[in-house]
Amino acid sequence: MDSFAIETKSLNKVFITKTGFWKNKSKSTMAVEDISFSVERGELFGLLGPNGAGKTTTVKMLTTLLLPTGGTAKILGMDVVKQTAEVRKHIGFAFSGSRGLYNRLTAFQNLKYFAELYSLKDDFANKRIPMLLDLVGLADRADDRVETYSSGMTQRLHLARALLHDPEVLFLDEPTVGIDPVGSRDLRKTIKNLLSLGKTILLTTHYMAEAEELCHRIAIVKKGNIVALDTPDALKRRISGESVIEASIQSDQIQVLIDKLKVLDQRTVITHDTTTEPEKLCIRTTEPGRVLELLSPYLNPQYILNLEARSQTLEDVYIAIIQGDQA
Amino acid sequence: MTHLRWGLIKQQMSVQFLVRTMNPLSLGLFVIQPAVFSAVGMLLSRAAGNSTPDLVYSVIGGGIMGMWSGLVFTSTFDIAGDRRNGMLELIVGSPTSLNLIESIRTFTNVLSGLFSLVLAFMAATFIFGYSFTGVNTWGVIVSLLLLLFAMWSIGVFLANFLAWSRLSGTFVDYLEMPIAFICGFMYPIRVLPVWLQHISGAIPIRWALEAMNESLLGSFDLKYLTIHWAMTIFLSLVLIAITTWMQVKVHDKIRLSGELSSI
Repeated sequence: MDSFAIETKSLNKVFITKTGFWKNKSKSTMAVEDISFSVERGELFGLLGPNGAGKTTTVKMLTTLLLPTGGTAKILGMDVVKQTAEVRKHIGFAFSGSRGLYNRLTAFQNLKYFAELYSLKDDFANKRIPMLLDLVGLADRADDRVETYSSGMTQRLHLARALLHDPEVLFLDEPTVGIDPVGSRDLRKTIKNLLSLGKTILLTTHYMAEAEELCHRIAIVKKGNIVALDTPDALKRRISGESVIEASIQSDQIQVLIDKLKVLDQRTVITHDTTTEPEKLCIRTTEPGRVLELLSPYLNPQYILNLEARSQTLEDVYIAIIQGDQA
Repeated sequence: MTHLRWGLIKQQMSVQFLVRTMNPLSLGLFVIQPAVFSAVGMLLSRAAGNSTPDLVYSVIGGGIMGMWSGLVFTSTFDIAGDRRNGMLELIVGSPTSLNLIESIRTFTNVLSGLFSLVLAFMAATFIFGYSFTGVNTWGVIVSLLLLLFAMWSIGVFLANFLAWSRLSGTFVDYLEMPIAFICGFMYPIRVLPVWLQHISGAIPIRWALEAMNESLLGSFDLKYLTIHWAMTIFLSLVLIAITTWMQVKVHDKIRLSGELSSI
């Protein structure tokens, strides 16, 4: 028996798009350049990376929905290209969003539909569907049309669908996107339960806290390559010599502050978060004293509203790696 | 497939009826559109000097048009809809072959289309007062069954072609009317130029339809009917063989190009 649940070697995917009126020109897009990793049975493995990094393409190759251009990928020792039909029997997958269900059917009818696609016997399906709906907290809405479901409920139904045939390996592509915090927490709890049942899970996510809480190991993917692969703790230790200082700022004064910080050494990474109110400057540095010294004259309502130092999080590591200095 | 999967057939058919057929759009597709075709056929027949509307080419022809349009429309919509809502990749990613699913769906679509034809027969009987005495009943029944088989074989072929790429739906739309015209849905095929008749000779529907029309017109010419039935079966089987050959290539092609999903 193969010891790995998932194993990829130099996995590569190039999309070729035909353009022009006669479709006589072609354009290549490298979605995945060189992805190699292995996942132990019973492990929860995370793929993190920005949009377009190649996470979903990798998952789709592993789930037999895309053919790799090069490299190999095996699930439970079975080749995803040569043993496609066998692989499909042993994997389950759920993608994010409300797509992938018939909205005019109820949750039960949708699951029954997929039960037939996976050749589940009627009596097994009739017991398993209510059990799964209960597991994902949808038992009381089983007979409601999916079109009446919230995003979180749809996502949970996707998970139930992926688990219908009791697969050994589960692929979850951004399962908590669009779900409220309570729904996300419930879904994470369900994922943990699945781990206790011995499932192997490959999870892609944008949420660092989620990855940190759930994943045994994490691979950070950037431009189709794995740039870091380790346990969450080990990844955090990579930049443990650094501190993070966050400044809540007046947005019109941002350039003044950035100019002041230019004197810091080359390893200092400054990120500007415009999604918060007030906006934030996040400074990851080995010279925290110097940063405080440089910024303290500006600690007044005209420039800096608040200044705080905090410990490293996985998000800091992720940003550091994605921005290139820690790869 | 080692055994007939009745559960899958039942499930697919019921979902197909619930999701695709039972909606207001189907009223237009299977009732209003054929009625419009029949009305136009009758007007043309009258303009050609006929005092009463022609049963075979006006009334029944409208029903056949409804069946055909319904089949093309639902086949296109099945794949495009599934591609758009993310179902196509879930179906392809399951252990059941897409071709099997499309075969069952197309069968359901053909059965749904039969509703148009039944309505056309009812209209002919109860509205226009046609009597079916003198009709070769068995000829009509066998021809109709073969017509359904021919439509199913084309439907499965189209579904496979539609899965091929996002753009193929447009090409299938282009085929809808030309095939109806060259197969003589609403007029005898002999009125067409010979070269067009040769082209339509490659389409199994044409042969089944000719046999059905002749049977409705009272022909008992067994040799004529047998040749037409044999051609229908032969050409349908050729299409099925091409579809079977294509399905592996389509399966690989859509996974290579990433066209299982519309986004």
